[in-house]
Formats: sequence, C-alpha cells, structure tokens
Amino acid sequence: MDFEFSVITGSLPALLAGAKLTWIITILGIIGGMVFGVLAGLGRIAGTQSLGEKPQGIFMPISVLVRYLSGFYVEVIRGTPIIVQAMFLYFAFPMLVRLVTDIERFRIEALTAAVITIVINAGAYIAEIVRGSVMSVNKGLLEAGMSLGISRFHLIVHVIGPIAFRRMIPPLGNQFIISLKDTSLFIVIGVGELTRQGQEIMASNFRALEIWLTVAVMYLMMTTVIAMTLRSLERKMKIF
Amino acid sequence: MPGIIEMKNVCKSFGNKEVLHNINFSVDEGEVVVIIGPSGSGKSTLLRCINCLEMITMGELTVDSILIPAERGRIRQIRLEVGMVFQQFNLFPHMTALDNVVFGPRKARKMNKGKATDVARNLLGKVGLAEFENKLPQQLSGGQQQRVAIARALAVNPKIILFDEPTSALDPEMIGEVLDVMKSIAKDSGMTMVVVTHEMGFAAQVGSRLIFMDDGRIIEEGLPGEVMKNPQSERLKDFLGHVKHH
Repeated sequence: MDFEFSVITGSLPALLAGAKLTWIITILGIIGGMVFGVLAGLGRIAGTQSLGEKPQGIFMPISVLVRYLSGFYVEVIRGTPIIVQAMFLYFAFPMLVRLVTDIERFRIEALTAAVITIVINAGAYIAEIVRGSVMSVNKGLLEAGMSLGISRFHLIVHVIGPIAFRRMIPPLGNQFIISLKDTSLFIVIGVGELTRQGQEIMASNFRALEIWLTVAVMYLMMTTVIAMTLRSLERKMKIF
Repeated sequence: MPGIIEMKNVCKSFGNKEVLHNINFSVDEGEVVVIIGPSGSGKSTLLRCINCLEMITMGELTVDSILIPAERGRIRQIRLEVGMVFQQFNLFPHMTALDNVVFGPRKARKMNKGKATDVARNLLGKVGLAEFENKLPQQLSGGQQQRVAIARALAVNPKIILFDEPTSALDPEMIGEVLDVMKSIAKDSGMTMVVVTHEMGFAAQVGSRLIFMDDGRIIEEGLPGEVMKNPQSERLKDFLGHVKHH
C-alpha cells in the first residue's frame, strides 16, 4: 500500500470543517474558562492578605464561604477526568433534570455540552493559575499602595492585576493548548470536531497513515498559533 | 494639646508572641522622631501600627485625632495623612517614575491628570530626579528608587511620613543622597517624621527626639545628642557600641 497524497487532498474539506469546529469549541471554551477562572481564582483568596486586608464585619463570613465554594469547584473538576465530565453533562445531566423536574424532553446539544465542559474544566485550572500569580505579587506593593490611601479596588485593577497578568501568560498558554487538545475527547459525545472527522474518514477508507498524519499536523498548526499569539503578547508587555 | 500621634498602653501580638509591650508614645506636629534599636525590637511594628498596616491588639492609638481601631473608611483617611517609605522601596515595577508619583494623587486624592502630573514633576525635581521621570524602577539605582518612593509618599500631601529603615537596603555610596533628601524635607517643610534608622548622624543632625527600643519596649527617650552622649541603660550603651564600630 503506497502513501497516497490524493487521500489527503480528498479528505481535506471534511477535516477542515472539523478543525473549524475544534477552533470554535476552544475559543468559546477558553473565553468562558477565563471568566470562571478569574472569579474562582480570586474567590479562593478572597479576604486574605494577597488581596489587601482582612475583611471586617459581615464580609468575614462571606469571604470564608466564597473561598470554600471556589475551592470545592476547583477540587471537584481537577479531581475527575474531563471525559467523565463531558459524558456526565451530555448523558447524565439531562436524566438528572428529568428526574427532579417535570421538563420531559430536556436535553443538551452535543456542541453546547462540549463548550460548557471546556469552560468548566479550563476554569478550574485557570483558577489555580490566577491564584498563584496573584499570590506571587510582592505584598510590599499592596502595602505601599494602601499607605498612600488608595482603595483596594484601584490597587487590584492597576497594580496587582497587570503584574499578575504578565506572570499568568506562560501557564495560560499551557492551559489553552491543553484545552484545544481536550476537544478531541468530544468524539465520545458525537461532536464533529477534527478527531471525529478523521475517525469517520478512516473508518470508510482505512487510510490510517495519511489521515492521522494530516490530523496531527492540523492540531500542531492550531497549537502553534496559540503558542505564538501568547509569545507575542508576552513580548509586548513590559518586563518586570 | 495632644500630639498628632498618641499611643497609650499599646500592645501588639502576633499569635501568642507579644512584640510591643505597653508602649506610651506621643509625637507633636513638626517633630522628627528617630527610633533606633536592635533588630526584632519592635521598631518596624510600631511604625506599621501608626498607619494601620498592623492593627494594635490592646491600648489606645490616635492618629490625626482619629481613634484606632476604626472602620475601613476612617483607616483610608488616616493613611491619606500618613505616608510611608519602605526599606525595599516597593515602587510599582510596571510604572515609570512619574507614574509612580502620579498614581497616589490621582487615585487617592482624585486629582485630575494635569494637576497630578504637575505635582509629581515638581516633587521629582525636588528629589533631584527630574530627568528620570520616564524610567522604570528597574532602570534606576537603589538610591534613585528610594528618592522616587519619597516623592511618591509626599505626593498625596500627608501630614506625617513614616520611614522604615529607608537606607538599610542601599549600597553605602547611595545612603547620603537619600538622607540629604530626608533632611531637606525635615528642614524645609516642617513635616512630621518618624524615622526608624541606624544612621546616628542623621539622628543627631535633624532628630528632635531619639527613642531607643529593645524587646518591644521604649527603653530611653530624649534629645538625640544627650541620649547618644549619656546612655543610661546597659542595653543602649551596648547597642551604641555596636553601631559605632561599623
């Protein structure tokens, strides 16, 4: 059996359609994941010295609750495989809804389930990236700002935020690439992303070498785009 | 008339460890109080209690007629009137020298950008760094960074400035330039200053009072020249001996 380039060119339209879907899931997933991650990451250090001073009055128990809930979210998501999360959301969650409510035909679109899975999963890991970066900012800077009489809000937005963000870029790059590759697991819930497209073509023509080589190169090209985008962002920001 | 800073029977503990024991201490407006003492004697903690970076555990503290402990809004008000200069400078590393000085008046005093920039340029000029306004902290020497930090503290127009070992992290040849700036603030503006330092020359020249602390207590207090010449306690004699030998 020879290596046939025509197999590759013939399957390109379907693979490109799959790659497009992979991009869509990834982009939506990491945007949502950033929102979840920043909220949960800051939530895990709410009311601690990393974000200024110990809260007073009613904010004390609230901050404890926020820390506890954020921690629970991170540990549950980090502690279970993403493929189980996807299957739970797609197959089990609708059953649960039907069981406890009277919405008879409740179901989740496979693509929606895929995006939500990435959002929730990436969010948990990004939360730890955010927490680590914020905690790494020299506390003396907060003290200097506070001793000028500047509010915590301004210090978080103008001092801690920019410095922590610069430190987040390398680990965020890692997470974005992992999330992109994780979309290949959605083959199990029938989303027509790149891996699924490759699998289907392969099942009809048995050209494993050509197809999986092409699929691998396409993933590599996409992850390279992410890596280079973050590298240039890193270079654009001042070094400190 | 009560002083601008009044401490009555102030104690401060970290967990079970009491680091300030029953401190009684008062600073009048325009005074330059210099605090000396061995490391771990509670000098920095005393300073940090004044602008509420640390909260006193017991006793009574009044700063600019505001009684501490106070709620958060009042604490911000105190900090507006009490500037601080740190041993490690703590300049914002992502801002230029000018932006470091502009930040306080802009965000804490709600000054408009043009006016805040004027204030900042004027102060950078006063500390001799007019031509360095566009440099980032990492492009400046330690002495220059500390002078920017002093300008930053002055920019919000406080009534009191606290100096926490401002020259201890500097190379010897840069200590003079920072002390000169501090001396000129003390002489020209009549600013109330509380200075923790090991620079005995500075204490003698501009200090209106010298306080010696050891083990969380004020051991001796008086005019700098007299305290240095006639130490009463063994501990101060011992300490002065060590300082002079270096």
